[in-house]
Amino acid sequence: MRIDNAYFTRRKFLNSILGGWLGAVAASFISPIVKFVWPPYKEPDEVKLVFADYSGMQPGEVKNFPWGSKPGLLKRAPDGSFIAWVGVCTHLDCNVSWVAAKQQFFCACHDGWYDENGTNVSGPPPKPLRRLEPSVEGEDLFVRKPGVGAKT
Amino acid sequence: MKIDMKKFAAWFDDRLALTPIFKYMTKKEVPQHEHSFWYYTGSSILLFLFIQIITGIMLALYYKPTLEGATDSIGRIMTEIPLGWLVRSVHSWSSTFLIAIVMIHLLAIWFTKSYRKPREATWMTGMMLLVVSMVFGFTGYLLPWDDLSLSATKVGTNIPMAIPVVGKWVTQFLRGGGDVTGDTLTRFYLFHVCILPLVIFAILAVHILLVQKEGMSVPLKDEIAKKKVPALPFWPNFILREVVIWLVLLGILLTISLMFAPSLELTADLMAPAPEGVKPEWYFLFLFQTLKIFPANMGPVTGEFVAVVLILIAVVAIFFLPFIDNKPEGKKGKIIQYLGVVGLIYAIVFSIWSLL
Repeated sequence: MRIDNAYFTRRKFLNSILGGWLGAVAASFISPIVKFVWPPYKEPDEVKLVFADYSGMQPGEVKNFPWGSKPGLLKRAPDGSFIAWVGVCTHLDCNVSWVAAKQQFFCACHDGWYDENGTNVSGPPPKPLRRLEPSVEGEDLFVRKPGVGAKT
Repeated sequence: MKIDMKKFAAWFDDRLALTPIFKYMTKKEVPQHEHSFWYYTGSSILLFLFIQIITGIMLALYYKPTLEGATDSIGRIMTEIPLGWLVRSVHSWSSTFLIAIVMIHLLAIWFTKSYRKPREATWMTGMMLLVVSMVFGFTGYLLPWDDLSLSATKVGTNIPMAIPVVGKWVTQFLRGGGDVTGDTLTRFYLFHVCILPLVIFAILAVHILLVQKEGMSVPLKDEIAKKKVPALPFWPNFILREVVIWLVLLGILLTISLMFAPSLELTADLMAPAPEGVKPEWYFLFLFQTLKIFPANMGPVTGEFVAVVLILIAVVAIFFLPFIDNKPEGKKGKIIQYLGVVGLIYAIVFSIWSLL
């Protein structure tokens, strides 16, 4: 049935109303499902380590520490201060290791190398290792993301 | 009481109306020509899919998809459960056989151009099945949860990151967070045993239905010459030949599974450096090597991005191949034929190169 001068029939109008309503109901479920499936993920702003575990490190020595669910790398500089990196390759996320004999960081997945300052020097890595900021505060060793100041 | 089987069958047929399907099967004919052999690859894939389902369900009886339990549960399957080592070996080898025959199936159709009208949709569903099979392999590779599978999964799930905007989203979806963790393992297991089986059955049903609807293709030159190609009845002649091939393949599968059972490494340590010699499954090797040869940066973008985009373009082009190759008997058709050869050589050379 079509009312005079109408653009569409009554059947088409009712179908659109019903279809649109069903679509809207279905769409209202999308957001909660998406939220559930993609879990919130946040890298730690800082991790707190026991300084005593790391105070015995020699200059040039590298030790691992847990940075959330990733490994972190902590290196003692010649002047006794610490340098820290996130220990995953900037190419495809594999965990890197310190090769003392070559004084370089190495990623075994695709043969990527970083020098002692974490700069990518050979292989596929496009960027240097990500730097973190370690700071010794009393008996604790904090490692923070750059720009995240100490919580007071 | 004597059951009258005829009456029994008639009762069922009254309700289910299956007679037309049986009639179709007995009337179906398979053309006989110089390329007929490739017809058998389709049913061989089904054989290995069947083996995967049976052995997969068996393994799932004891496997535990958790960070703490995964490796140990496979160790238990291999050492304590009677014939467990063999079931795991068959499942692992059968996946290799399946993918290998899927590739042969695809190449045979490429080179005989059987995807030409009216079988475009059959080709496209076939491509979807290939991708789903590879995702099956990729998700299954992580389940032993040892050092190698962890690193391979880190690399594999990081690749989408090369795509701007949506890439990060895809990676987080695959990993269930920013890193590969126990959540990734649970997720991969769910995909491997629940979601992908549902998907593969749905696509496979359409694929097989299309094959029945259009019948088997005949060689292009016979089609152009409108030549009457001799045919073999599907039942029982063709099935009998298929069964012979199945038995031979089963024998080879079992022999290889007995002699080369897969090993199990130590449980993956999320904090440990990647082990040397991280490699994906063999059918990803040429892609792995492709990623490796691209330089870190190419102008404003990373080499990885360029590689991923090129691979995606190739996949999309192959998916739509029947439409690109719309004049199979012409010059363009010939070029596409040669491109298939080039692609095959590329894949073989790069796979071997990645192992050196």
